[in-house]
Amino acid sequence: MAAVMPFGNYIDADTPLHRLDTRLKLLLLVGYVTGLFLVDHWLGLALFCALLLAAYLTARVPLAFALRGLVPLAVILVFVLLANGFSFSLDPLALPSAQSGVSLIGSFGLLPLGLLRGCFLVVRIVALFSAASLLTYTSSLVQLSDALVSLLRPLAVLRLPTEDIAMMFSIALRFIPLTASEAERIMVAQQARGAVFDRGGPLRRARAWLPVLVPLFVKLFRRADRLAAAMEARCYAGKGRTHLRAQTLRASRVLLALLSAAALVVLGVWL
Amino acid sequence: MLKFDDVSFAYPGAAQPALAGVSLTLQPGRYKVLLGANGSGKSTLASLANGLLLPSSGHVEVDGMDSGAADTLHKLRSAVGLVAQDPDDQLVSTLVLDEVAFGPENLGLPPAEIAKRVETALRSVRLQGLERRDPNTLSGGQKQRLVLAAILAMQPRYLVLDEPTAMLDAEACAEFTALIAEQRHQGSGILHITHDLHFATDADELLVLAAGRLVYAGEPAALLADAEALGRWGLAVAEVAEGDIAAAAPAAAPLPPQPRPPSRPAAAPLPPQPRPSPALRLDNLSYYYPSVTAAPDYVIKGLSLVVKAGSYTLITGSSGVGKSTLLRLAAGLLKPSAGSVSIADGTSQAPTAVVPGAVGLVFQSPEDQLFAATVAEDIAFGPRNLGLLAVSGKKARGRGRRRKTADNDPVDPRLPTPLSEAELVAEALQQVGLDARAFMERSPFTLSGGEMRRLAIAGVLAMRPRFLLLDEPTAGLDAQGRAFIHRLIAAELRQGVAVVVVSHDLLEFGGRADQHLQLVAGRLRPLEEGRPWQL
Repeated sequence: MAAVMPFGNYIDADTPLHRLDTRLKLLLLVGYVTGLFLVDHWLGLALFCALLLAAYLTARVPLAFALRGLVPLAVILVFVLLANGFSFSLDPLALPSAQSGVSLIGSFGLLPLGLLRGCFLVVRIVALFSAASLLTYTSSLVQLSDALVSLLRPLAVLRLPTEDIAMMFSIALRFIPLTASEAERIMVAQQARGAVFDRGGPLRRARAWLPVLVPLFVKLFRRADRLAAAMEARCYAGKGRTHLRAQTLRASRVLLALLSAAALVVLGVWL
Repeated sequence: MLKFDDVSFAYPGAAQPALAGVSLTLQPGRYKVLLGANGSGKSTLASLANGLLLPSSGHVEVDGMDSGAADTLHKLRSAVGLVAQDPDDQLVSTLVLDEVAFGPENLGLPPAEIAKRVETALRSVRLQGLERRDPNTLSGGQKQRLVLAAILAMQPRYLVLDEPTAMLDAEACAEFTALIAEQRHQGSGILHITHDLHFATDADELLVLAAGRLVYAGEPAALLADAEALGRWGLAVAEVAEGDIAAAAPAAAPLPPQPRPPSRPAAAPLPPQPRPSPALRLDNLSYYYPSVTAAPDYVIKGLSLVVKAGSYTLITGSSGVGKSTLLRLAAGLLKPSAGSVSIADGTSQAPTAVVPGAVGLVFQSPEDQLFAATVAEDIAFGPRNLGLLAVSGKKARGRGRRRKTADNDPVDPRLPTPLSEAELVAEALQQVGLDARAFMERSPFTLSGGEMRRLAIAGVLAMRPRFLLLDEPTAGLDAQGRAFIHRLIAAELRQGVAVVVVSHDLLEFGGRADQHLQLVAGRLRPLEEGRPWQL
């Protein structure tokens, strides 16, 4: 039995941040990110980092876990640091020494000020990424898609089929792990018939996947047919629906979140 | 009352109608079982009952509402709940709560009412407390109960169940059947569509569909006693009466005329085997999912098994116990965490480790793996990968590395000389009882469900495995299909092939094998003495 593929990185817990409506969390994130981009010196950056740390502690996300999530960023961070801290310039006027840099080999040199700026950018990127991650750590995929759909809903005025879009989100979320395990099952079945997927040139490798992709798509189309019938049998018509989990927002909460987001932006401008 | 009045239905472009002149009624509180072989029109009938299909002629009526009337269609659909075979074809949500609410939401009910219905429905299928779970994380039995809850939340007066237990293991099937009985006592009219005779005894009335026509409606007892009629309509197959599938096989000793012989006629002597016979050995095998924080999660733990040539092994176990993992390990498709899987060829030589392709593995629903443009090509896929075919050009060369030792192995009695592709394909088709000339050039996707299953099995047999592993080979097959599987196994055994069947269906396979084993807590142990399949 293939294990269900891990998907999303929600950490189940019961903290104020988990309970907060996902739409408000999105709003706060937008405020935070805007503020973060407006901040232009270290004191402000330190304050924003402290706020983020407080939020992580409130949400009880293990910091080691969050740090591991930064690994994919490493390449970008190193690049930012190098691009700011070192310079290759053949223009004599822009020689490192002219910027109080230290020439290493000819025109290639170290820029202490640039390095400092690089560090500033690195911290800012890490804070940005961590803030966005915090949203996914504290909101399940269902909550995220519900929030997105709810933010889309006003667009129904423009005759956008928001109800169908919501349904598509839900079905896609449900079928991604299912399709992955089906693909794995077919792949193993073809391996049992001697298929090899990881040998030969690119063309041969691509061809080797044909015996997996053809049955997978056949199965998907058949499933889509049956699912549509089952939905129709349960009276789905894409309109005239009500919602059990109609998310109601208390005005005071919305106001508080709005003010907090605004405060973050102002803080960014001021610092 | 749910009423079919002289209903016929033909799919566009079909030569024969799927249903012809069917009349039946279902009252609230009644339990009717509709039997029919694969392809007899059962699922078409289910879709007609719910207004998913409209009759070509005749009328379907539910409590006075005609299924053709657009204005009452939603009322009709909420009155007739439809449960199909595969829960994954019916679930739309990522949250149990949302799934049950889906139907009532479509009916436009107020949220308070939906909440009440969701709670009642989940309680009645005993899934309360799982509201926040993702249906993907539920077991097969729980998923099908969730489907039922989602239907019950719409408060239907009739339930039409289309093989709802076909994918469930014995335990989950019993649970589901008990829920259905409860619904019946609460006043729902139930039409249970199945090809499984076991459900027939409880029915108030038995209906039989054969080739689109209703050929029987009446007492269950009268029909169940009529073996001739059951055979005629493809509901049961007297195993003795069937012709042999492999023409070359020696005449089998006539079986006693019982539906379930207590044991396979193992007395039929194997052809004399001058050479030492090979054996598949699983030695102290373990497989676990590594875990950083907790102790490793063992699926298989210290399991040993020897499968000798020409022997028949049955392995049972409830779903999720690791049967599929065991099969993958045995076929060399999964690297064991500890222990080894090897083939000892019976000589003094050291056993060779099993590589993919060395052991024939027929997965559950193998028809899901068909892909080629023609039947012949699909069958040739495995043999080509293994380099079993006679070299007809440069193309085939170099592909057979993996089986090189086996190819040149003089001890292997099953590979005298490489065959041409056409010969091999024709032989494999003959083994599964399909006419080579009629099928070779057809697209696999134009075949019926039963034919596709046969073709997929032929694709494995064409690789000439000395060990054949079958995962739930009879799942979803009607009486004739199941009888075919048993004949095929018998023919393979006579050829000296070792057969291992993994199935939870003891009623189907109990008493047939040489050794009956049960997979429990990562190990195999002999099935206890009660012989539970002899009811």
